[in-house]
Formats: sequence, C-alpha cells, structure tokens
Amino acid sequence: MKTFFLAASFLFSIALFSQNTISGKITNEKGKPIAGANIYIEGTYDGATSSETGEFSFETKAVGNQFLTVSFLIYDTYKEEIDVANFKGQTIKLRENVNALDAVVITAGTLESGNKARVSVLKPLDIVTTAGSAGNIVAALQTLPGTQTVGEDGRLFVRGGEASETQTFVDGLRVAQPYGASTNNVPTRGRFSPFLFSGIAFSTGGYSAEYGEALSSVLLLNTQDEPDQNKTDIALMTVGLGVGNTQKWKKSSLSVNTYYMNLAPYQAVIPQNVDWNSPYQSLSGESVYRYHFARGIFKLYAAFDSSKFDLNQQNINFEEKIRTDLNNNNFYLNSSYSGAFGTGWHLTSGMSYGYNSNKVKYNNSDVDSEENAAQLKLKLRKHVSNYFGLSFGADYFITKFNEKFDDNIAIQASNGYDSNIAAFYTEGDILFSKYLALKVGLRLSNNSLLEETNIAPRASVAYKVSKNSQFSFAYGDFSQAPVVDYIKYSKYHQFESEKAKHYILNYQFTKPGQTFRAEAYYKDYSNLVQYDSKDIQYNSFFSNNGSGYAKGLDIFWRDSNLYKNLEYWISYSYIDSERDYKNFPTMATPNFIASNSLSVVTKYFITDWKSQISLTNSYSSGRPYNNPNETVFMNGKTKSYNSLSLSWAYLLTTQKILYVSISNVLGNQNVFGYDYARLPDASGVYNRQAVTPTADRFFFIGFFWTISDNKNDNQLKNL
Amino acid sequence: MTKIITTIAFFICSLLSAQTQFEQGMSKAFALWGEGKNTEASAMFERIAAAEKNSYLPNYYVALINTTGAFTEKDKTKLDLMLTKAQDALDIEMIKDQNNAELYAMQALIYTAWVVADPMTNGQKYSVKVMEAYAKGKAIDPNNPRIVFGEADYQLGGAKWTGVDTKPLCVQVDKAVELFATFKPATPFSPKWGLERALESQKNCKK
Repeated sequence: MKTFFLAASFLFSIALFSQNTISGKITNEKGKPIAGANIYIEGTYDGATSSETGEFSFETKAVGNQFLTVSFLIYDTYKEEIDVANFKGQTIKLRENVNALDAVVITAGTLESGNKARVSVLKPLDIVTTAGSAGNIVAALQTLPGTQTVGEDGRLFVRGGEASETQTFVDGLRVAQPYGASTNNVPTRGRFSPFLFSGIAFSTGGYSAEYGEALSSVLLLNTQDEPDQNKTDIALMTVGLGVGNTQKWKKSSLSVNTYYMNLAPYQAVIPQNVDWNSPYQSLSGESVYRYHFARGIFKLYAAFDSSKFDLNQQNINFEEKIRTDLNNNNFYLNSSYSGAFGTGWHLTSGMSYGYNSNKVKYNNSDVDSEENAAQLKLKLRKHVSNYFGLSFGADYFITKFNEKFDDNIAIQASNGYDSNIAAFYTEGDILFSKYLALKVGLRLSNNSLLEETNIAPRASVAYKVSKNSQFSFAYGDFSQAPVVDYIKYSKYHQFESEKAKHYILNYQFTKPGQTFRAEAYYKDYSNLVQYDSKDIQYNSFFSNNGSGYAKGLDIFWRDSNLYKNLEYWISYSYIDSERDYKNFPTMATPNFIASNSLSVVTKYFITDWKSQISLTNSYSSGRPYNNPNETVFMNGKTKSYNSLSLSWAYLLTTQKILYVSISNVLGNQNVFGYDYARLPDASGVYNRQAVTPTADRFFFIGFFWTISDNKNDNQLKNL
Repeated sequence: MTKIITTIAFFICSLLSAQTQFEQGMSKAFALWGEGKNTEASAMFERIAAAEKNSYLPNYYVALINTTGAFTEKDKTKLDLMLTKAQDALDIEMIKDQNNAELYAMQALIYTAWVVADPMTNGQKYSVKVMEAYAKGKAIDPNNPRIVFGEADYQLGGAKWTGVDTKPLCVQVDKAVELFATFKPATPFSPKWGLERALESQKNCKK
C-alpha cells in the first residue's frame, strides 16, 4: 500500500510538474542579438529574459499549443502559436517598431516647437522668454533661419517671399487676418498670445498638400488640448493690463483672457521718431473652450481685437506731416473637432470665420475696408499599418472684401471682390523602414473668381544615415491668389494665381541637448503680378508675366550642454533672390531682402538670483533700395542692421514675477530703407527720407501674478 | 495515521502551491529586483500582469521599477523608453480603477521623473501634473504616506529656486514618517516603500 501510494503520488507529481523546455534566440532583422527581450507563454508566468547573446531558455508546465510572446519596447511585439513540446533552438527575428522615438521624420522645411514635436527647435517657454520678442510669436520666430527681419513691417518674410506669402493656421484652419492693423512703416505684431498654444510648426517651404494658398510658408499653431489647472493670471505692465482665468471641469475646460494696452506711458518716456496724436491702444481677448469626448476633442476658439492709433508722419513729398488715424476691429472664430473612429480612422473637421474692419483716415481722406473670410475643412486619415497611412480631405475658402475710398472733396470709389476656392487633397505616408520615409501628396484647387484650376504635386523623402543624423529632400508646387491690393481690381482685370516651386535639401543632426540643421533651397517663382504704373490703381495695366527666384542656405545650431543653465541658439541665413514683378523695370532684389542674417539668442538662469537673463542679438546685412538719382534700378544698399535686446525675469515668489526688457540696448540708429521724393527738386535731385523705427528703443516692465491652488505653478511662461 | 496526515498535508500543500503561484511569481520577481536585475524583474512582473488581470500590483511594479530606474538613467533614449513603458503599464491599471490612491502616487512619480530628466523642457508642463496627481490621490486617501511624503518632497526639491517656505513642507514630512509607521499594506505585496527616503528628507529638514 505504502509503495503504491508513493509511486502514485510520484507519478501524479510528474504529471503535474512535467515540464517542457522552450529555448531559442532573439535577433533583430539583421541578425544581431537582442538582449533584455521578454519571452513568455501567454497566460502563464513562464518565461525568460534574453541574455547578452540574445539567447533564452525556460521551462513551462503548459502543454499543447500555446502562444509565445516576445516583447521589447522598440520592437513590434511578436506572437506565434507554438507546440510547447517542440520549440527549441529557434531564432525569432523582431521587426523594429517604426513608431519608436528615433524613427526617421521628414524635416525638410519644418521647424517645430512644443511637446509633441520630435525635434523641437524652440521649447515651450522660448516664445516668451526670448529677449526682444515681448510675447510676440512672430518676433520669436524671426530668430530662426529662413526669416528676414523687416523692422518697418513686423510680419514674417520667409526665404525671399513677401509677408503675404505666409499663411497662418490655428488648429488646421486658416486665419485670414493674423496680424494687427498697421500703417505705413509702423510695425505690426501677431494677434495671438503665445500661452494658449501648445505646439507651433513653422514651415519655411515644401509643406504638406493639406495646406494651400501659401506661396512661401505656413505657420501652424495648435491650441492646448488641456489646460494645466484652475487659475487666475494678472498682469500689470508699463504698456497695459491683462487678466486671465482658466476653469477646468471633468471633461471640459474654459480659458479666457483679456488685455488692455496703451502705449502712452512708453511713448512719453522714450523719444519717438513720429508724433503721436493718440497713442496705440487696444482691447483684445481670447477664449478657448474644450470638450473631451471618449475618442475625440472639440475646441472652440474665439478672439477679438479692437485697436486704434493716430499719428503724424513726415513724408518726403509733402511739407506738412501726414496724419494717419486708424481704427481696427477684428474678430476670429474657430471651431474644430478631431477624433478617432472605427479602426485606424481619424477625422478632423472644422470651420473658421474672420471679420476685419479697418477705418483709416489719411489727412482728410477716408479708406474703409471690410473683409469676411471663412473656411470649411474636412480631413480623414486612415492608419493602414505602421508602415502606411493615407489622408485626404477637402477645403472651402470664402472671402468677401470691400473697400471704400472717399477724399471728402470729389473722389469716391468702391472696390472689392468675392472669392471662393474649393480644394481637395490626398497624401500618403510610407515608412519603408525606420530609416526611410516618403510622403507624396497632390492638391487640386479651383478658384471661382480667377476661373482657374491648379494641380499641385508635393513630395518629400527622408533618409536616416546614422543614429543622430538624417537627410531630407522636399519638392512642391505652390500657388496663391494675388493679394488684395491687386485682386480688389478684379472687376477690371483678369488675374491668375501666382506660383512657386520649392526644392529643399535638409541635413539634421540631433543629440540630447543639441540640434544642428543645414538647409539649402531653391525657389522658382512664376506668374507674379506686374503693373505699369507708379502706384497700384484700378486703371493700371496688370499682367501675370512676372518671375523670380530665391536660393540660399539656412543654418541653425542649438545647444544646452555647453554650460550649466545656459541655453543658446544661433541662426544664420544666406539668401540670393531677385524678382521681376510689381512695377520693376528689370530683375532686381526686392527691398525686404538682406543677403546675410544672423541671430544669436542666449538664456541663462542664475539660481542664486532666482533670475533668468536673456540676450538676443539680431544682425542683418544692408537691404537694397532704389535711388532714382542713379540709373541702375535698386542699386542702393542701406547700412547693416543690428539690435541687441536684453530681458531679465526675476521670480519674486513662485507665483509672482517681475520682468524687465529693453530692445536695442545699444541704441543703434537703424535704417530700413529710403523713401525718395516722387519729383526732383529745382536742381534735379530726388530728395530722400530714411525709413527708421518709430522709436530706437522699446522698454517694458511687467509684474505677473498667478493665483492658483498649486503654489508651484509659476508665471515664467507669461513673460 | 502518519500516512493519512502526510497525504493530507501533501494534498493541502499542492493546493496551496496552486493558490500561491501568484505569490511565488511575485516573490521571484522581487528577488530579481533585489539583486539589481531590473530588466528581468520588470519582465517577470510583466508576465504576471499578462496572466493575472485581477491584480493591479504586477503592472504597478513594472511602472515602479522603470520609473525608479529612469531617475538614474543617463542615456536619454533609454530614459524615454523606460518612462513610456512605466506609463503604459500604469495606464492599463488606471483604466480599470480610478479610485486607487497608490496609482496616483505612481503617476506623480512618473511625471517627477520627466521633470528631473529635463527641467527646462518638461518643468512647466509636468510640475502641474505632479501636483494634480497627488491632489487626486489625496482626495481618495489623505493618509497614504507615499502621497503625503511625495507631495511635500516634490515641493522641497524645487524650494531652493522657487523660494517656497519649507517649514510647512517639513511638517508634512514629519507627518508622513508617522503615517509610514502605522501603515498596514493590504496584502504582503502591496506598496509599502518610501520610509527611508522620508527619513532622509526629515534629516535635511532639521539641518
């Protein structure tokens, strides 16, 4: 009995604990061993970790057919049904996961900022802490390569393109009027306050087929999906006041902020180069409402801006100064939904509406304009596999513009246009491997006003040559309807879209804390608008026979490893560009192009002083201007431009910050160009007047206070 | 009689051993972790997690091993991978149960690791999230020592440049030390770590 029992229990335990050995080797696609992979039989605890040589071996009590799983972060998880009794010494090859962090990304033309960006050239705080930017997104972007500093204008000029060649998009929808209203040689600034946006992508060329009606560049701003917390922000500044509040609920949140700006105190302290009858004043506000659904997010963004100023400017053609009195009202609404559905589908849809009213009085003449612009958009994306994605969509732009002129004596005129543009696009993303990616797209658009249809192919490819470096190449056709200055006369003339082709070759090197980019490009412009008169008039003779080119090299270097708490970046741009457009008699470099530009930005945090000190130096070589006293067109060149800006942020407590900023500390007398008299004087000489900044320096002192439950949040981001 | 007892004992043992496969696995994983074999320990916890969908603990420890490892990891790519792994593991449990204070303490720790990895880039975004996670955890269990300590410790860490008053934070550290002393883990494998760091922090407070 005893023997029987023992034998039985022995057998029993053998049956219970009969084990099979599973063994093999894990390698990558090239046969190199992978160490640290987790190999196991699904549903059991039985498994092992692969050794340095990629080998593994373990015993399992499981019987029959089972699922063997191999997982390791940067590889696609491998699953295979095996017979546990019969799996020994086999080699399993893992395929690298192309979504892993170090996969190749197409970078030609695109400079990104924000948390989602793979390679971020600007960090979230940079927009606000870069000296000289004063919280203006556009000013911060002007420290990046490929941009021109055009001080008398303030807008973004990209790679030999006019400012109007850059389009701004918020959450994928166009902003018809992205800049504040301005007048002759008084610089404007971007309307958007930086701290509602979490990601910024700035493309200096070769961008996706999703974006149209932009010849040179697109600026993509994305609002935050989720604010950090409930809080109230208060800003007291030498230029005005601001209040903001954020409320968070379970699934939704609302952020509201308003600003009142008045430049009177600043204009009283700093000597001005123009006479202000009434200082620049503005009342503006923005709000974002977000609602999270299970698989998507709805956002409603609204902004208004009402601004005015009144000034007298010297004009070379008149003895008396010319008075400009400007009133601008702007409203922008943007609603979008972005979410996933089905398997691998993603839908983005939305509409935007912009209203702009400008009332300008030049001495006694009135120029009133009104623009209504809307966009409807639908985009679908299908994630077919980790190696292939397809997107397609449609856009509809509606623009109505009307302008009235009245000199209050005799002349009255009214001009305007209605334009509808319908566009379709499709784009495929193919990842051949972790090292090679391709994007091919096509955009088809029809403009009812111009009665034309355009087909624009776009393609880009990126190849990763080593762990830290890669090359990208992009090609694209771009078209854009002529700007309002021309197209408002479309009832008298038939215009065509202006066109550009981009060729971009990019090299990028990245290491933690370091980014180097070099980009060479060639842009071929055609179909540019030309006219035959001194000014653009309804009775000018217009044609689309203009052409031009831009070629150059952009270099960017950013480093945070050099010295503790020091961050800096250097941007250098070289450009060679000529155009035969507008009323140019010949091919020439336009006056907004400086052939060499260099920006150096540094930020240093001094822990003991609880301070961040930031310095920005912007240099650009002289810009061409036309001197009618000379026979050669556009033969003059201004002296070079230089401006050194300084800012100091001091943390009084975590939630209170004192911020001081001065631009052009050295007080360089910068000259942007020259205005020449229309007629020569008695001795036959055309007199001139320099175009200079409205003031040589700008200074700013602000006190920022955040009130929230969380005492750790600080105001640094609002600077 | 002896035979019968032996048989019964044997039977019970095998029953017990069947019941405690989880305990065996967990003990083995802890042993590996104790030996400094983090990859192996994490892999073991992962295997247990794949088999035992009813316990949050295996995934919790996958997250904990990878997060604590990330604090000392110099290689940025690896660090990203570790924290992504930690977050993925935690997400699995967070979806199942949003009323577990320990999961919020873990979440706060992951965010803290992101901040420590690159304060300039991540500080602004994650600081608020760290505090938010502790606040959520506190709402569920105000006397969880890891939450009370973690919340105070995070603020103490930033105090040298934010200038926050450390006194009330040190009071919280003292409170946490007391809570650690009376803390009773729900199961032998439930989280009970953190006292050592709290004592160290208490020492620094007294300096």
